Amino acid sequence: MTADTKEENITEDEAALYDRQIRLWGLDAQRRLRAASVLLVGLRGLGAEVAKNIVLSGIKSLTLLDPTVADEEDSMSQFLIPRSEVGKNRAEASLERTQLLNPMVKVTADTSNIDDKDDAFIKSFDVVCATGCGTTTLKRLDRVCQEGAVKFYAGDVFGFYGFMFADLGTHEYAEEVKKPKHAEKNVSSEEEGEPSPKKAKVEEPETTTVKKSMKFPVLEDALGAKFDSSSSEGKKKLRQIPNTFFITKVLLEFLEQQKRRPASSSLEGDKKQLSNLRKQTLDTSGVSDNKMPEDFTEYCFGQLSPVCAVVGGILGQEIIKAVSQKDAPHNNFFFYSGTDDGGFVTSIGS
Amino acid sequence: MAATLKGVLQGSLADNVKNSKILVVGAGGIGCEVLKDLVLTGFKTIEVIDLDTIDVSNLNRQFLFRKEHVKKSKSQVARESVLKFNPDVDIKAYHDSVMSPDYDVNFFKQFTLVLNALDNRAARNHVNRMCLAADIPLVESGTAGYLGQVTVIKKGLTECYECQPKPPQKTFPGCTIRNTPSEPIHCVVWAKHLFNQLFGEDDPDQDVSPDTEDPELTAEAGQSALQSEAKTDEIGGIERKSTRVWAMNTGYDPEKLFNKLFRDDIKYLLSMETLWKKRRPPQPLNMTQLPSDTDGNSSAIRDQRQWSVKECANVFSDCLGQLKKELATQGDGGMLVWDKDDETALDFVASVANIRAHIFGIAMKTRFDIKSMAGNIIPAIATTNAIIAGLIIMEAIKILSGKIKSCKTVYLNRVPNDRNRLLVPCTLDPPNPKCYVCAPKPEVTVVVNCTRFKVGALQDKVLKSYLGMVAPDVEIDDGKGTIIISSEEGETEENNDKFLSDFGIRNGTRLKCDDFLQVYSLVVTIAHVEKLEEEKEFEVVGDLSELQPQEEQQQAANGSKPHNGGDKADEKEEEDDLMLIEEEEFEEEQQRMEEETRTTRKRKASSETEPTTKRSKTAEAQAAAGDNDVIEIS
Repeated sequence: MTADTKEENITEDEAALYDRQIRLWGLDAQRRLRAASVLLVGLRGLGAEVAKNIVLSGIKSLTLLDPTVADEEDSMSQFLIPRSEVGKNRAEASLERTQLLNPMVKVTADTSNIDDKDDAFIKSFDVVCATGCGTTTLKRLDRVCQEGAVKFYAGDVFGFYGFMFADLGTHEYAEEVKKPKHAEKNVSSEEEGEPSPKKAKVEEPETTTVKKSMKFPVLEDALGAKFDSSSSEGKKKLRQIPNTFFITKVLLEFLEQQKRRPASSSLEGDKKQLSNLRKQTLDTSGVSDNKMPEDFTEYCFGQLSPVCAVVGGILGQEIIKAVSQKDAPHNNFFFYSGTDDGGFVTSIGS
Repeated sequence: MAATLKGVLQGSLADNVKNSKILVVGAGGIGCEVLKDLVLTGFKTIEVIDLDTIDVSNLNRQFLFRKEHVKKSKSQVARESVLKFNPDVDIKAYHDSVMSPDYDVNFFKQFTLVLNALDNRAARNHVNRMCLAADIPLVESGTAGYLGQVTVIKKGLTECYECQPKPPQKTFPGCTIRNTPSEPIHCVVWAKHLFNQLFGEDDPDQDVSPDTEDPELTAEAGQSALQSEAKTDEIGGIERKSTRVWAMNTGYDPEKLFNKLFRDDIKYLLSMETLWKKRRPPQPLNMTQLPSDTDGNSSAIRDQRQWSVKECANVFSDCLGQLKKELATQGDGGMLVWDKDDETALDFVASVANIRAHIFGIAMKTRFDIKSMAGNIIPAIATTNAIIAGLIIMEAIKILSGKIKSCKTVYLNRVPNDRNRLLVPCTLDPPNPKCYVCAPKPEVTVVVNCTRFKVGALQDKVLKSYLGMVAPDVEIDDGKGTIIISSEEGETEENNDKFLSDFGIRNGTRLKCDDFLQVYSLVVTIAHVEKLEEEKEFEVVGDLSELQPQEEQQQAANGSKPHNGGDKADEKEEEDDLMLIEEEEFEEEQQRMEEETRTTRKRKASSETEPTTKRSKTAEAQAAAGDNDVIEIS
């Protein structure tokens, strides 16, 4: 990450616009945000939410990359694409509204396929966030990002379900911790009948900033994690893995095999296909039938707007956290299921 | 099309969404996000109400607004922006207060669901009551910084918003503000009081002069101070005049004001020697002999730089001049209203607070920090609002699926709890049978001194401010039906300055209090006492206080243990209702005090069957409470 712009001070205009967030994460974090360039792959509903959140936060630049064209399904969650733009490229169609969110951020659109981009392109960003990609694409992006010390995120939303994955390599960050309070000197009871003494000056709760570091597993290991449900320890470990992890695996596998998402235009066939993949995934992961509800196929079509908002909110905040190098990031998955209000942070593959 | 596409929403849900009519209360941080999610998900009929206009500081998160919209109506601009996302939606926008009588119970009855996206307790209380009266499900929400929460309220099924007592307003004793400040906030409060004394509405509770009735002063000390006051010439004399009149007579002369406030009044305080036996005595300042400038980092923007005392004095001078002019434009009897977004008003408070802090040896603060304190600004970010709005819609979807019983209170944490949950769902509680709002026959006891408590205070401080009524009518339950307070203008105003005892109200008297708009009746039983603790004027007890020991018992039963951040799996499941609310800032001092950083938590045994969550988020709550960004109403 380039640190040179850190020297520049925030202007009065920026201070006014970002006032409410500077009061939360401080000026330093805001300066770092202003220096960050982000590549966002995939401009469906989740991509739109991520774009909105990080452009509002005041990053330096955002590249929207998507080779596909907008369709009817975008109307349920992709608010950056005007309805009149169905049939147009998603990245280009999202450009205008994204830019309007914050004129201080440089927003560009790229209609390429990420698979056709060379490694140098990927390494030119501070952060890469890939949505709507299959596992082959994701694994390659993760590998290139780690080579180039780029912060890598992946995420997707399928109906009521959604996930985020983060590989920040070895991530350094600052965390504020409370200093243990010094025992206040008690000078009371010296003189009887006197008003109880009060300190002339009350110290504010003291915090101190501690530098920390965290290591992340790569996506390949995270997705390939095997579970041994025969041992008690394996069972315990498995209990901590939310069902949504396995649902995510099934849907990523569908994407990988079909080169498309489950679609309402092929509802019944896709449901059948997903059921088959469910069995396979459970088998290869070595977990029992109850780790994935059979009726998940009822809830995984389209991208539900509120689910995009939840997952895109978490994803956006994690990108802000990583860029500002403040606070411990979620390592390494977040899973959301709108069927039971579950929202888990789970470490898989380490 | 939206999400009512085939295969996305199950069964009749798609139709229920299409056919529902939704009221969104608030078009701010949460409201903008809620509106977006609604139109995309396929909701067809929406009404949104907000009395606020757009400010630059909204634009980092209220993404339906842009710079050119500043000063325009939030609800109207939000409507126009969101229609672009989905033009096939019928949206009606009201630029108005939801507490206005125009929005009566019949107005609320026309909706399938009400979604709150509010930023203050008064409006939340009111909408809660309206939804109870109309028997419409309400989804309530709030965010503060990184934290947020969503819950569902349904008459007879769940707790209402007011079933659990809220933490009391945080106020500072008058003598701390006037005589013995020890924290920056005390100086900020004093500075705002001074603003009002000089330019704003006269409020006897906001006196800025030394307080000779400080309980710390023994009778003797008070006497000697009074004597010295009598001796001093015009300085002592001015104590008898109002600060405003005196200041006007001097033509708001900066040096005269400065030397009175920061030299003579401080000397006077010093004469109350008892106060300074254990404290660092304040040091009077003379405007012509201020410590010299020690300007450090001048590269930082003005807001972020610590001003020197001399600089503060200059700002103070300039502000007096400007505010005097502004006041003059208001004409005779006019006044200014302090506003954190008014540059001069904020400059005034920042300079005055810092001068006073310097005098008392308290850390001085930047204008940026003083703005937070004086304006009670709660930090707010786009991501938290987006997440909470998403969760609101998910609860709304459950209600429309006919599964209101599976609705939850969901908390957004900053870090996952030890069950790995970042979003923590908790079972909804049944109504509190003793709730003074949603119980079948609400009752409450108010403790006052009937010979000293006025009818006006009963109306404004107890019934309106504390008990959340908008326009109360009060009748003494004495068989004669004496009406002491009427919501009709001009009927009972002459009673306001009379004491309760003037109407024969005494210990045990029952008052029938009604709010016609809220369709809410409450029986208030008066308990008379001579004196309340801590200078309190009144106390509301009875059913409310009975709740406290009960909770403590449950806490004990849960095997409550110290929460120091050590995250060990707790076998006993428990629920945390950390109710954090507030999305925006509050203008009112009272609300400011009330909503200020505070942690109260309620924990109880879990009734949920599935092995979910429930490990306490205490460590988190505590950590967050240190941030200045959490407003928790449990």
